[in-house]
Amino acid sequence: MENVLKPLLDSANSIILGKEQQLKLAVCCLLAKGHLLIEDIPGVGKTTLSHTLARLLGLNYQRIQFTSDILPADIIGASIFDVENARFEFHPGPLFNQMILADEINRSTPKAQSALLEAMEEHQVTVEGKTYDLPRPFFVIATQNPSHQIGTFPLPESQLDRFLMRIELGYPDKRAERKLLVGRHRYSLIEELSVQLEPKQLANIQQQVTEVHASSALLDYLQDLIAYTRESTDYHCGLSPRAGLALLTAAKAWTYMDGRNAVLPDDIQAVLPSVAGHRLRSGSTDSDSIVAPLLNNVAVS
Amino acid sequence: MVLDVNQRILVFLLVSIGLITLPHINHMPMTVFSFFSLLLIWRFVCVWKTNYLPNKIIILLLVIVAVVLLYTQHKGFLGRDAGTNLFVTALGLKLLEIKKERDLYLISYLAFIVASTQFLYQQSILMAGYILFVCCVLIATLVSINSQKAATVSALKTATLIIFQALPISIVLFVLFPRVEAPRWMLFNHQNTAISGLSDSLEPGSISRLGLSDELVFRVKFAGKIPPPNQRYWRGPVFSWTNGKRWTESKNLFFKKNQHKVTYTGESYQYTLMMEPQDKRWVFALDMPSLYPDSVTKNALYQLINKDNPGKRAAYKITSFSQYNTGDITKTERKDNLQLPSDPSEKIIHLVTQLQGFEAPAERFIQSVLSHFKNENFYYTLTPPLMEENPIETFLFDTRYGFCSHYATAFVYLMRVAGLPARVVAGYQGGEHNKVGGFLEVRQANAHAWAEVWLKNKGWTRFDPTAAIAPERVEQDVNIDLQIATGLVNFSPANINVSRALSWMKSAKQLWSGIDYSWQRWVINYSTVNQSKFLSSLGINNISSMVQWLVASIALITCILAWTIFKTRQTKIAEELILYQRYCKKLARAGVYKKAGETAINFSIRVQHLRPDIAEEVKKITAIYIRLRYEQNLAKEDFILLKNKVASFKA
Repeated sequence: MENVLKPLLDSANSIILGKEQQLKLAVCCLLAKGHLLIEDIPGVGKTTLSHTLARLLGLNYQRIQFTSDILPADIIGASIFDVENARFEFHPGPLFNQMILADEINRSTPKAQSALLEAMEEHQVTVEGKTYDLPRPFFVIATQNPSHQIGTFPLPESQLDRFLMRIELGYPDKRAERKLLVGRHRYSLIEELSVQLEPKQLANIQQQVTEVHASSALLDYLQDLIAYTRESTDYHCGLSPRAGLALLTAAKAWTYMDGRNAVLPDDIQAVLPSVAGHRLRSGSTDSDSIVAPLLNNVAVS
Repeated sequence: MVLDVNQRILVFLLVSIGLITLPHINHMPMTVFSFFSLLLIWRFVCVWKTNYLPNKIIILLLVIVAVVLLYTQHKGFLGRDAGTNLFVTALGLKLLEIKKERDLYLISYLAFIVASTQFLYQQSILMAGYILFVCCVLIATLVSINSQKAATVSALKTATLIIFQALPISIVLFVLFPRVEAPRWMLFNHQNTAISGLSDSLEPGSISRLGLSDELVFRVKFAGKIPPPNQRYWRGPVFSWTNGKRWTESKNLFFKKNQHKVTYTGESYQYTLMMEPQDKRWVFALDMPSLYPDSVTKNALYQLINKDNPGKRAAYKITSFSQYNTGDITKTERKDNLQLPSDPSEKIIHLVTQLQGFEAPAERFIQSVLSHFKNENFYYTLTPPLMEENPIETFLFDTRYGFCSHYATAFVYLMRVAGLPARVVAGYQGGEHNKVGGFLEVRQANAHAWAEVWLKNKGWTRFDPTAAIAPERVEQDVNIDLQIATGLVNFSPANINVSRALSWMKSAKQLWSGIDYSWQRWVINYSTVNQSKFLSSLGINNISSMVQWLVASIALITCILAWTIFKTRQTKIAEELILYQRYCKKLARAGVYKKAGETAINFSIRVQHLRPDIAEEVKKITAIYIRLRYEQNLAKEDFILLKNKVASFKA
C-alpha cells in the first residue's frame, strides 16, 4: 500500500514545499471519498495543491472561480436551443469533471454555493427534470478566504458539514520559502508531473479503505468523543451522526495510508482537527484549539 | 455573552448563595444583611471585572468591619441569631477570597450550613421545599465544579438525581436515628417572633383587633365526636379584677384553695390540641378540661397553663366534658369576683332594679339581662365606636354597639352590682372544620369573650351574652373569610355572592391546611417522645434494637442502590484493558502518569523518553496491547504474553 502512495506524496511534496501533513490529509480525504475545504488567505498555494493532485491522479481537472455574480447555470451547465435539431440540448458546465477546484467559494452568493454543494452530496445534477450523473471519481476541493475578509458569504454549518475535511495551509517555513524563491515556477513543474495513480487504482484503494478494521474498543472511543461534544458546554452543538461517520472513514483512510489494517485511537486523533474543526463551533476558529478539549478530556479506551 | 467555564461556575455558586441567604432577610438585622448583600454584589461584579477584587488589606478591613457590626448587633457571637449572622457574614467574606478549587468547596459547604440555619427560624413545609430547592442548586454547583462538561440543565438534573438517591437513606435516618432536641440556647429570643394573640388583660378593642386576622392559633383533632358549634368554647385567661375600663386576671391565680373538686357530667370529648407558637403559656382547652398531659397544669381558674417554653409548636392530648359542676367558692374567690371599681352609678342601680336584680332569683335575673340585650336595640359589631370614659355605662345606655367583650364585661358588671359573683372569660369560640384533615382550625378571628356566673349548686356557669344578641356568632360560627374581606361581622351562610367567590379559595385553603397539619404532625412534631412511641408501635423498644434496625436498613438501601448502579454499568471491562491498566498503575507508582486523552502509543513514546532503561519492555507491552485491543484477529498467545509481560514488568 505504502509503495503505491509514497511516490504520489513525494511528487506532491516536491511541488508544495513544507506541507507534508496537509498534503497527507488532502490525500487521506481523497481516499475516504470526501471533499476537501481549504481555508486560508490568498497566495499560500491552495490552487497549486489542487492542481498538483489532479495532475498526479490523472483526473480531468477544472477550476471554477466563484465570484459574487456567478449563477448556478455557470457551474452546472444549461440547456441551449439547437436550431438544427429543433430541440433543447444540455450543455454540461464545468462541474462535469473528475476534480473540481471551487475557488473562493465564499465569495459567491448562497444560491450558487448550494448548487455546487448539492452536486457534491448527490453525485448527480438535475436540470429541467433530467438527471445527469457526474463523472467518477468526483472530488471537490473548495477554497475559501477567511470569513473576516471583505466580500464573503460564509458557508452555513449545514453546508460545511458536506466537506469531509477542512485544512489550513499556512505560511511555509523559512527553509521551504527560500527553496520556493530559488526554484522554478510551480506551473512549469506541474506540467512535468506524470500520473502516479490511475483512476482505477484509486477506486481500488478507496474500496480497500472501507475494509479497514475498527474494533469495538475503538468505536467506544469514537462514541465517547461524539458524546463529549454533545454534552459539553465548550461547543454550541455537538457532532452529527454524519460527522461521526466521516470521522471513522477519515481515520480508516489514515490507517490505510500508514500501512496498517486496524484503526488506532492515534488515527482518530490525527484526523480529528480537520474532520471536526469546521463542524464544531466554539470561541476559536483554529481547528487545533477547537478540538483541544476533546483530545485532552476524553479518555482513550 | 459566552462565559468561560470558571465564570459559569462562579455565577452558579453566587446565584445559589443568593437564593440560600434570601429568606434570612426576615430576621437578620438590616445592617448585617446589607453588608452581606454588598459583598455578594461585589463578588458578582468581579466575575467579569477581576481587577476589582479586593486585596489582602481591604479584606482585613472588611473582616474588622464585620466583627464590629456583629458585635454591636448582638453583643456577642453566641446564640441563634448571632451564630447565624456570623455564618452568613463569614460566607460573604469568603466569597471575596476564591483562589483555588478548594475555596469553592469550602464556600459550598458553608452555604449548606447557612441553608440549614434557616430551620432555626422557620420549619414550615414551604420553607423546607425552598431549602431543598436551593440545596439542589448548590449540589448542581458542585457537579459543575467537578465536570468540565455538564451544561446548567444537565447539572441540575444530576443534582436532582443525587437528591433522590439520598432520599431513602435520609428517610431512614429521620425515622430511626435517635432524635436530638434542639438545645434551649438556640431558641433564645424566639418569643419575639411568636404570633400575638389574646393579651393578659381585656381592654376595649383588644379582641376586635384580632377579628381581622386569620392567623392560625391552634388545631384540634378529635378522637371521636366533634362538639356542636355552640359548645366550642376554648378556655383562655379569666378576668376578675377591673378598674372600670381594663380587666385583668386575679392575683390569686394559683391559689390552691380555690381549686375545687369539679364533677364532670355530660358528653366527653377526647382530642389532640396542636398549638401554634405563641407568646403566652396558655393552652386553650375545650371548656372544661378534665384530663391533660403532665406538661401542662390547671390553674385555679380552670385554665390550662403550659409549664414549658411556649415558643414552639406543641401538641397536647386533652379530655374535656361539656357539662360540669365546680361546687362552692371560697371567700377570696367571692371577694375577687364581686369587685367593683367604684360604687355603681344611679343609672346602673336603676337598671338592675328594673331587671329585678335585687329581688328575683339569680337565674331569673340573668335571663332578664339577656333579654334586655336582645330586645333593647343592641347591636353586634366588630367596629364599635370608641368608648373612652366609663365604657360600660356608655355602652349600656348610649351607643349600644359592641363586640363580644363589651357584652361580656357589661354583663359581668351588672351581675356584680346585683351581688352575683361573676367574671369574664376570654378565649376562642368556634372553629372551622377542615374536611381534608378532619380537624378544627381556630384562628385569631375566633377570639371571643364570655361571662361566668357562680350559681349555688351549679358552681361557675357559662353565659354568653353575645349569643343573646347575635346567636349566629356562637351557633353558626363566624364566617372569617367574609369578615376579613368586608371588615364586617358576617355569619355564614348569609351574603351568598361573596361566599361563592371565596369558596374555591376556601377549599384550596383547607387542602393546604391539611397538608400543613400532616407536616406538623408527622415531621415537625417527631420529637424524642413521639419517636419512641412510633418505634415501639413497630416493636422497636430500646436503643440497641433501634441501632440494629438503622444499620440493617441503611445496609439494605446501600445494597439496592449499589446493585442498580452496578447493573447500569454492567459493560464488562475487557481483560487486555485490565492488564494494561495494571501496567499503567505500575508506572504511576514510579511517577509516570498516563493522561486521559493520551493514546497508548503516545504514552509509550513519552515513557521511553522519560525512562530509557525500561524502553524495550514498554515498547513490547504497548505493541501487544494495541494488537489485542484494536486488531481483528486475536491471538491467544498474545494475551498470555501480555499477561506475563505485565506481571514481570518493573517500573
